[in-house]
Amino acid sequence: MTAQRIFRTFWFIPILALAIALGCGSSRPDISAVANENNEIRVYEVFGMDCPGCHDGLEKLVNEIPEVVTSKANWEKQRLQVVLKSNSNVDDAIILSAIEKANFTAGKRLQ
Amino acid sequence: MKKIMYSVILIIAAAILSAPILSSNVHAAGISIDAGLTPPQKRWIFRSQVRFMQRTNDPTPMGREMKMYMFPAVVAYGLRPDLTLMVRQAAGRSEMLMNGNSDSQSGLADLFVLAKFRMSRINTASYTIGMAPTIGLEMPTGQDGFTSDSWDPHLGYFISGRSGPWGLDLNALYVWNGMAKTGDSDSEPGDEFSLDAAFAYQYGFGDDAEYAFAPVVELSYKKINSNSINDIIVENTGESFFQLSPGFKFTRSSFIVESLLQLPVWQDQEGIQTERDIGFLVGLRFMY
Repeated sequence: MTAQRIFRTFWFIPILALAIALGCGSSRPDISAVANENNEIRVYEVFGMDCPGCHDGLEKLVNEIPEVVTSKANWEKQRLQVVLKSNSNVDDAIILSAIEKANFTAGKRLQ
Repeated sequence: MKKIMYSVILIIAAAILSAPILSSNVHAAGISIDAGLTPPQKRWIFRSQVRFMQRTNDPTPMGREMKMYMFPAVVAYGLRPDLTLMVRQAAGRSEMLMNGNSDSQSGLADLFVLAKFRMSRINTASYTIGMAPTIGLEMPTGQDGFTSDSWDPHLGYFISGRSGPWGLDLNALYVWNGMAKTGDSDSEPGDEFSLDAAFAYQYGFGDDAEYAFAPVVELSYKKINSNSINDIIVENTGESFFQLSPGFKFTRSSFIVESLLQLPVWQDQEGIQTERDIGFLVGLRFMY
């Protein structure tokens, strides 16, 4: 009876634990593994990111740009790394527009 | 990516499966973090919560007690950078004890839709401030015992500030309960007003700061006006209370788990009513 009561009250905890385990297992892009000497890597200052949850939202919009291979944001360093396809010549304004759509503000281009 | 999809499917399945045992008073207060910061365009947010509250200390000899479990599931989408749309469906289960007899009730609650607008967002190297008003509508779609039987508009205003690891969020919300009634009951539920303030300090860790853990303290005040019938106040309805809620928020890229323990600090019940006791909530968020 006691076990039944405990299960009825805390039945969601195994689901929560499983969701946490799966959520923690998702991987982040590895810039060094993706980029080679033909790829241009740009680095931008980005202001307004306040937690790791902001990374994916920004990267999703930047990665939609056809010339972008991948991108990686870091909220603590306020940086966005963008790996471009070889010989692509993307205007900075296109990347800055993606940053604005993510509700962040671009600072200087650092690299 | 496969793991993320499994996680989403799991959460949606949990929300759907829990629907049949799910509660009435489902206004999603609690965990006000980030409410003033509108998400990026094309961002999907799936949010699921388990909320528990109880009422005890019956001033009458009937020994009344109530336990309530609520399971709101929310889907939000960043339609534009300055506009977020949200839909919430909750279900609940309540267990009541009176004169030694127990009774329970389960059902789906009212469907709630909300639009959040970005009024202002200032991002600098040292701080971020966001302000966002919201307009919402609760529709009388819930089952008996879990519906207000009325169209209930919500008006809210959310402010979020960040400076380094520090975070402060302030919310104000007004709910016009009982507007445009659809049920048979003459009773009109009282309007609600709530104020929330949340303080957080965030620790980032991991190679690329992909993890963050934030202890949170939330202060909540809520006033629920008395119900009325033909403009005459119904006795033993309406209350005001103040809660102190310590908790935490853990973030891993597209995944957030958050929890609060809600401690009643002060409360004022109209007439003879049971008192609010300790409650808690656990929430999950997946963002894509």
